[in-house]
Amino acid sequence: MTSASFNGAQMAVLRSRLDGVVRAMSNTLLRTGRSGVLNRARDFSCCILTHGGDLVTAADSLPIHVLSGPDLMVKSVMEFHPDQRPGDAFLHNSPYHGCSHPADLSVIAPVFDDRGRHRFTLLAKAHQADIGNSQPTTYMGEATDVYNEGALIFPAVQVQRGWKDIDDIIRMCKVRIRVPQQWHGDYLSTVGAVRVGERNLTALAEDIGWDRLEDFAAQWFDYSEARMAEAIAALPAGQVSGSSTHDPFPGLPADGVRITSHITVDPDQGRVTVDLADNPDCMPCGMNLSEACARTAAMIGVFNSIDYQVPKNAGSFRRIDVRLREGCIAGIPVHPFSCSAATTNIADRVANSVQTALAGLQDGIGMAEVGAVIAPSAGVVSGIDPRSGKAFVNQVFLGMSGGAASPGADAWWTVGHVGNAGLCCIDGVEHAEIVQPIIVHRRAFVPDSEGAGRTNGAPSTVIEFGPVGGAIDIGYLSDGHINAPVGVRGGSAGGGADQHIIHLDGSSERLAACAQVHVEDGERILAVSCGGGGYGSPFERPPETVLRDMAEGLISAERARTIYGVAARPDGSLDSETTRQLREPTA
Amino acid sequence: MRFATDTGGTFTDLVVEDDDGTITLHKAPTTPSDPVAGVLDALRVAADARGLTLAAMLALGDSFIHGTTHAINAIIQGRTARTALIVTTGHRDMLLFREGGRTEPFNHAHAYPQPYIPRALTFEVSERIMAGGHIVTALDETATAQVLDAIARADVEAIAVALLWSTLNPVHENRIGEMIAARFPDMPYSLSHCVNPTLREFRRASSAAIDASLKPLMGTYLGSLEARLADAGFAGRVMVLTSAGGMVDACEVAAQPISAINSGPSMAPVAGRHYAWREGGFDSAIVADTGGTTYDISIIADGRVAMTRDLWIGEPYRGHLAGYPSVEVKSVGAGGGSIARVDASGLLHVGPQSAGAMPGPVCYQRGGTLPTVTDACVVLGYLDPDFFLGGKMQLDAPGARRAIEAHIAAPLGVSLEEAAWSIVDLATEAMVQAIQDLVVNQGIDPTRAVLIGGGGAAGLNSTFIARRLGCPRLLIPETGAAMSAAGAMMSDITAEFAATVYGNTARFDGDAVSAAVGGLAARADDFIARSGRPGGTQFIAEARYEGQAWEIDVPLPEAYFSSPAAIADFRARFEAEHLRLFTIVDPASEIELIGLRARVQCSARDSESDFKLTMEQTEASPKGSRSVYFAGAGRVETPVWRLDALTPDRMFDGPALIESDFTTIVVDPAARFWRSAPGAILIEERRS
Repeated sequence: MTSASFNGAQMAVLRSRLDGVVRAMSNTLLRTGRSGVLNRARDFSCCILTHGGDLVTAADSLPIHVLSGPDLMVKSVMEFHPDQRPGDAFLHNSPYHGCSHPADLSVIAPVFDDRGRHRFTLLAKAHQADIGNSQPTTYMGEATDVYNEGALIFPAVQVQRGWKDIDDIIRMCKVRIRVPQQWHGDYLSTVGAVRVGERNLTALAEDIGWDRLEDFAAQWFDYSEARMAEAIAALPAGQVSGSSTHDPFPGLPADGVRITSHITVDPDQGRVTVDLADNPDCMPCGMNLSEACARTAAMIGVFNSIDYQVPKNAGSFRRIDVRLREGCIAGIPVHPFSCSAATTNIADRVANSVQTALAGLQDGIGMAEVGAVIAPSAGVVSGIDPRSGKAFVNQVFLGMSGGAASPGADAWWTVGHVGNAGLCCIDGVEHAEIVQPIIVHRRAFVPDSEGAGRTNGAPSTVIEFGPVGGAIDIGYLSDGHINAPVGVRGGSAGGGADQHIIHLDGSSERLAACAQVHVEDGERILAVSCGGGGYGSPFERPPETVLRDMAEGLISAERARTIYGVAARPDGSLDSETTRQLREPTA
Repeated sequence: MRFATDTGGTFTDLVVEDDDGTITLHKAPTTPSDPVAGVLDALRVAADARGLTLAAMLALGDSFIHGTTHAINAIIQGRTARTALIVTTGHRDMLLFREGGRTEPFNHAHAYPQPYIPRALTFEVSERIMAGGHIVTALDETATAQVLDAIARADVEAIAVALLWSTLNPVHENRIGEMIAARFPDMPYSLSHCVNPTLREFRRASSAAIDASLKPLMGTYLGSLEARLADAGFAGRVMVLTSAGGMVDACEVAAQPISAINSGPSMAPVAGRHYAWREGGFDSAIVADTGGTTYDISIIADGRVAMTRDLWIGEPYRGHLAGYPSVEVKSVGAGGGSIARVDASGLLHVGPQSAGAMPGPVCYQRGGTLPTVTDACVVLGYLDPDFFLGGKMQLDAPGARRAIEAHIAAPLGVSLEEAAWSIVDLATEAMVQAIQDLVVNQGIDPTRAVLIGGGGAAGLNSTFIARRLGCPRLLIPETGAAMSAAGAMMSDITAEFAATVYGNTARFDGDAVSAAVGGLAARADDFIARSGRPGGTQFIAEARYEGQAWEIDVPLPEAYFSSPAAIADFRARFEAEHLRLFTIVDPASEIELIGLRARVQCSARDSESDFKLTMEQTEASPKGSRSVYFAGAGRVETPVWRLDALTPDRMFDGPALIESDFTTIVVDPAARFWRSAPGAILIEERRS
């Protein structure tokens, strides 16, 4: 082992080359995946880890997939398979062994040098259209336990030997996962991504040398840790607590679940601690967090609140202590509690509790609350397509917004949810109508639903859609009706979620927050997603920006006046005098 | 005689083709406020060189070929027409939703982008067509008339119409078009199914909105160009370059200005294709065009210029997706002006900040204090401070050294030369990564492709880029400094027509497909007739495996799907293309046809041409030598050659510097080079 160190120029080049390996993996998955959740919504992630499981890079992956989780999964592979060989690959989706949730089926492959030494590990994680649950959904909030959930669970199960599939495993999946051909296409893409990564990483090592690459990883961690320490040093010292409450769902208490985080910022030491132990025990539903998601959600809240340029890897992670409790809904889950929906609902509440708490430290830090999910407009639809007579199942992405205001800018509206950060794509109407037998009657942003502030959160979306030519089923778990996304530092809450079914006779009925709904031909689902919270007082929002939003029909004149303290003349121009009076502090 | 111009930010390039087929290059400064003035100035330079008056030279011209950034600049600067958009009821926010997606998940400093057409100017009409093309809600003409009343009150200058499924059934869009024409006889308007008949309504709407918003401005601009050229004595055809790498008559661009939105950058690959074939018979190439602030990359695959449907105006996700097919040109923010810095934790960064032309690199002595890539090239000895741009500009070498010493070498703890090399190396790395992303997307193998370096700065680090990519050969064309204008001269008269038509190999509707093919063929024939030149048509199927979201282009010799044998042939061609792009095929899957396109190509000249550049051969001897730093070798006394003094087809070993008035080419000790007979410089690895 050499101990040669790299200068800052050599590190910059190698960092770029390793990111390039990850981008080639991601590109393979995007372009060859079969299910819409991969090829349209890009709900997948790729990363490079050291042979010991430290995350080196996960360039532009979904935050909730990768900050923590890949590390835990690789460690479990090593525990169950101490004697790995070149050409091995392992399937992993067990939330009890490091995966985010069972729908995130991952392929993990060790990479060896030509003398048979395990050097790095590659991981590709892809959200499946179906994972064999008892209901045709991949987020089964009402699952009472893992048996009721019914997912096929692979705790680091070998799926390739000598670069060839172990067909026993493939056959098992094909008889237990809906629309098996679609599943198999997605599997081929995921394995393909890992093998593309293996080829490119090996080529890089031939150029650089394996020892040098490993030395680089170690030094890259130290650099990233130093950057993280600098970023934390820029925060004020303090202890803050935050909370965020999930709506009542089946299996949750009648008043919902309040998630609390206790945060300690120590700028002198350059450390942040997030303590999640003060939360309820696991519950008989699919909403329990995996350890990966609990850890990652806390980290997302921290990284959303500091300099975004700090590299996210095992080095910077050394500066965040996340304290988890075994058997806790936002901690380390105990089998057989279900973690079917671990990446979204409670995880979003954890991340939001952290970033809104940090906003309390000082103006300019933290963020408002990102809207909750999963509204029916991003639900899993299934049924028989009358045009082909074939079964289909897929998550649709017809509409979602949720973006929260940051201290310096209005929200990015279409973030989806805090763990996704907006990387997912939204289905085109025509595309959705050709892939599934549905019609989208209406897709709009809801006026007056933005989280008002000095900077604004996103407005809600409203989507009206239904089946064409036959019935469909739709599964969703829509949090945020009662607990709409809150604003911070004087900012207001964004719009809450809601859903109705409109029957053939035109009558409408509110739907449960978390359900599997059968929709007949000609009926419509009306789905309203959450907006996002605002940051700072709406009275500090520049009046011309308020007037622009008013002219665009995004806010009413009444709202401009009462919420923002901005008055317009009949021609839409600023009434400065009235605005000044409206914005005067009341004694 | 033919003229081709490319209006850049700093210079307007002109290529003149004489009747014997030889070409000459000329340059004049661009006048940003009046691009036509720069064109006329360049023409005057060419006339002077021939000892003619401008009018006398123009009188000899058959055609004038014009590349322009006028359309895209108008969008970036917000100078387009105030435009209304009419959409299907329920979908007013189509341009606001976009297609989702974002970059930099933890960077919360960017607010959600404003839509291309304000929501206040977007109007809904009651109508609905279904996925199969049948009407479920007929167009409410009374309500539409009221919408047009509201549009009249909104005081707009153009109108776009984008209705759901208009590509499968355009009857409602056409009817609204008639109503607009009747109500506002002089108002320009664009119908989405005519502008960009693609199955993605957001892209179609975006294209129609951009197109309509450009019509008033581009109509005026092109009218003025034609009038001023006529005044100066030109009586030939005025042609405009399109985003697809071809040219059309100016009136066609005035009728559909979005077709010229990427007019300038699309020309470098057309030239690249010519040189790749001429210098070694390569049918795949990586074409780089370098500027002061950006590095533009395009690809030749299988002898074709690679295209994209993801043309962004501005940054990806933060700008506007034009949705319109264009030559794929990837722009990297890395150029001579890119600023180098070392962060507090000791990591080197190059770009994305750029010193631009003002204040520029430190060595330009215009007030720049932060070291740039150009400063590093001065320190390394690549650039001669006394012979920059042929001696037109003196560079401050001590200033460059001081800046790199203070800002880079000292904090990194390395020597001055190592620091300068690191800056070039990291800039090279950014370019290599961008190229690698693109070659993966376009399915070419860089180890079988030639790298072509155009633009003034390509010679500085292209040897290193070619080596990193494993390209067997680097080619610096003799027209390198004006490669886009040369490409304009080489381009054909082209157009593309598209139709949305859905088919599936399990159940093909032969009649629907035949009707679409017939419609496309008729439009293609009509275009050929209008061009007045001999031409041909090629069909392209947009197809994918069932369930995939992204279709690929499959060239078809004949667009017939009438027999099982024809469908089997379609499958075979699809799978060959899928294998090339993604390395896998799936014989168990059905294949979906999503759309058809007809690509029309008419030759712009009567005979083949080799576009030989007129060059003067000077005496074959090195100009001298200077000390140059190479990684791994240290400082080496390196011979300096004048480009026009190199004897053709004679091989030289590196290291060497090759200089002309426009460029410097760096050949390191591991490489060798020669000049081809037509005047290109070719560089390969030395055989050990």
